[in-house]
Amino acid sequence: MRLSIDPEKCTGCDGCMLACSFAHDGVFDLRRSRIRIQRDPLNKEFNPHVCIQCAAAFCVQACPTAALSKLAETGAILVDEEKCIGCMVCKEACPYGAITLQSEEGSGPLICDLCGGDPECVKVCRLPQAISIIL
Amino acid sequence: MTSKTCGRIVRVNLATGEVAQEVISQEFRTKYLGGRGLGAKLLWDLAPVGVEPFSAKNPLIFACGALSGTGAPCSGRLTVTTKGPMTGGYLKSNVGGKLGVTLRMAGYDALVLLGKRATPCYLLIDGEGIHIKDARPVWGQGVKDTCIFLCQELGVDISIACIGPAGENLVKFASIMVDAYHALGRGGVGAIMGSKNVKALVIREGVGAVSVADPTAFGDAVAESRDALYTDGIQPDLYLYGTARDIDLLEKFQILPSYNHQRGGFEGQSVAHLSGREWSDGYVKRRVACGACIYACHRLTEVSSGPYQGTFSGGPEAEAITSLGTANGITDLEAIMKANEICNDLGMDVTSAGATIGWLMETCERGILGKEATDGINVVWGNAKAQETLLRKIAGRAGIGDLLAEGTKRASEKVGSDSWEWALQARGLEQTKVELRGAKGYALSFAVNPRGPDHLHAQVLTEFGGTPEAVAKGIEITGDEKFVRPEIYEKRAELVRWHEDMYTVSDCLGICSFATTAAYGIDEIKSAKLFQAFCGIPLDAEGITRAGKRILTLERMYNLREGHRGRLDDTLPWRVMHEELPELRKRVGAELSRVSPERLDRMLDQYYVLQGWDQQGKPTIATLTTLELDFTISVLERQHAK
Repeated sequence: MRLSIDPEKCTGCDGCMLACSFAHDGVFDLRRSRIRIQRDPLNKEFNPHVCIQCAAAFCVQACPTAALSKLAETGAILVDEEKCIGCMVCKEACPYGAITLQSEEGSGPLICDLCGGDPECVKVCRLPQAISIIL
Repeated sequence: MTSKTCGRIVRVNLATGEVAQEVISQEFRTKYLGGRGLGAKLLWDLAPVGVEPFSAKNPLIFACGALSGTGAPCSGRLTVTTKGPMTGGYLKSNVGGKLGVTLRMAGYDALVLLGKRATPCYLLIDGEGIHIKDARPVWGQGVKDTCIFLCQELGVDISIACIGPAGENLVKFASIMVDAYHALGRGGVGAIMGSKNVKALVIREGVGAVSVADPTAFGDAVAESRDALYTDGIQPDLYLYGTARDIDLLEKFQILPSYNHQRGGFEGQSVAHLSGREWSDGYVKRRVACGACIYACHRLTEVSSGPYQGTFSGGPEAEAITSLGTANGITDLEAIMKANEICNDLGMDVTSAGATIGWLMETCERGILGKEATDGINVVWGNAKAQETLLRKIAGRAGIGDLLAEGTKRASEKVGSDSWEWALQARGLEQTKVELRGAKGYALSFAVNPRGPDHLHAQVLTEFGGTPEAVAKGIEITGDEKFVRPEIYEKRAELVRWHEDMYTVSDCLGICSFATTAAYGIDEIKSAKLFQAFCGIPLDAEGITRAGKRILTLERMYNLREGHRGRLDDTLPWRVMHEELPELRKRVGAELSRVSPERLDRMLDQYYVLQGWDQQGKPTIATLTTLELDFTISVLERQHAK
């Protein structure tokens, strides 16, 4: 299972970001979203960035403390907060720009965990389908 | 409200830069909900009685919906409230884009601009505070260039509400444009912003969190609302074809505003190509959503070849296609796109701008004004180039544009010769392009709309019965499917009453009216569930509807306080009341093909009774007391004493 992104279809509603932070933290906070949408001043482009569970998992390879692992069932990346030292090497390693920093200093990275297999972001993107699941 | 980042009103004194904040009390929240409700109460409290719209003392209030910044579907909308320069009365204008979400996340429910800055400025709200910055480098520039400038200065993670040259030049129907293409269009909020020397309001995106009182209940309510919207008959048309999707239907039923409402369509020529169903594939570059919207009816369009190559803007929405197109005899889609782009970039309401030019076209057709009066421009039906020139002249108040910039009411008063008869306005505001003679519920709702005649008060879409949900709602309100017909007079007061309360609640929560009174997905029960779970304030469907009615009544009282004459001013454009629409006459007969003053009066009789107002159109003291609006009663007493 993995997420598929089609930037052309993104409407820039930020609904996925709102749903993401609410699902994980119970608040609506764009800074805590595991998805980020890049835009330009005149709204011509919206580019959602989120983990697409790539096979290579560069982030896992790069992590110096083995805090990251790839879940066998869903392919999602799991962050072990105990082992994470907040060095953000994973963020540098990700070619998709899909990893972001938590807003509080010293805490680990924000990486999509596929909401345990039923991603909330996909539910709010039903019409445009800029984010969808590939099983 | 559980979060410290929620529920504050901030006032900015533009002259001194002073900022004062207050926390919204639970009582205030329960009575006025948010958004439009906050705006109405703040206007009542802060605007001095009889204040001139362009006075520094007239407040300009930005209030996001109670649910803005959350994941509630289509909840990102914001209302601007002020005393309007077109009508001289209550004015609210509602907008999407990201402004509502960013304002809420910055920690504010409402931002009130008071006073006037000595030199052009813009406001920046970021995580640290509210800063007043120099806008002289962008004063005079269009909306696109202003957005590009601000993004270069501040980065792209901002939401922008700005005016164009029209607002700077106090064009009476100037708009405020949000995130470049979303318009706070109606009634002249842009002129008020211009009068305060404020070029833009800029808010940094996502600088705070929005907490929820009961996350589990809220999550459930959001999912329920979303599911209802996904299954409503109106989707996915809104997404695929936008607001212009039904132009072909208007043509089919011959209620497409044409030639300044002289006709209901074009004889011997189809304009079905103007329907969003026809052109979306060829011109839409991107479908764009407002904050938290699941529909995305808005679109960016581009003309890629031909004489209008390079035209790029948001829309054209249905309102632009009729106002800048068919109503002025213009049926070239790309020419309409160009005119729409000009209005968006110069910051003008497409409806009033188009209608003012339509009025001029008819005035010239009748020989009342000649070329010498129109700066040599050949002002005739269908002349798209003339329209372009006139739009630019209006924004710059140059030549004939200075007259048109006042709107059709004032322009027709100056020109005389009965030209007020074809000024499609009431109370000073041009009506939006719904053919009211073919939709009597809309006609009634236009007449009683506190800001003037338009559909964004009570979308009585039910009467058209376009979807199974609309028919079901019509039967629920009127008791019989035979009343779900747009031409008839029966039960219109009942239809308007339900829709206007629902619409008001929708505006207060920040939910798009497409989600409440076009799709019938989010009703009063779901609205109350969302509000209650979010705020932790117990309020059921009946309570939230009563809040809607309270706010509507307060808006009425504000207008009465400022000189509205009740029934005398609950009126429609002269043409709608006195001239039959020829196409409609053929189809449904003379009686139903205009909204005669007598017929309008009979609808008003019923409407006032349902509202608990007297037959002069003034709320009774008993109604005001029931709605806890006792503080407004003195207005009635003062009028009584006179």
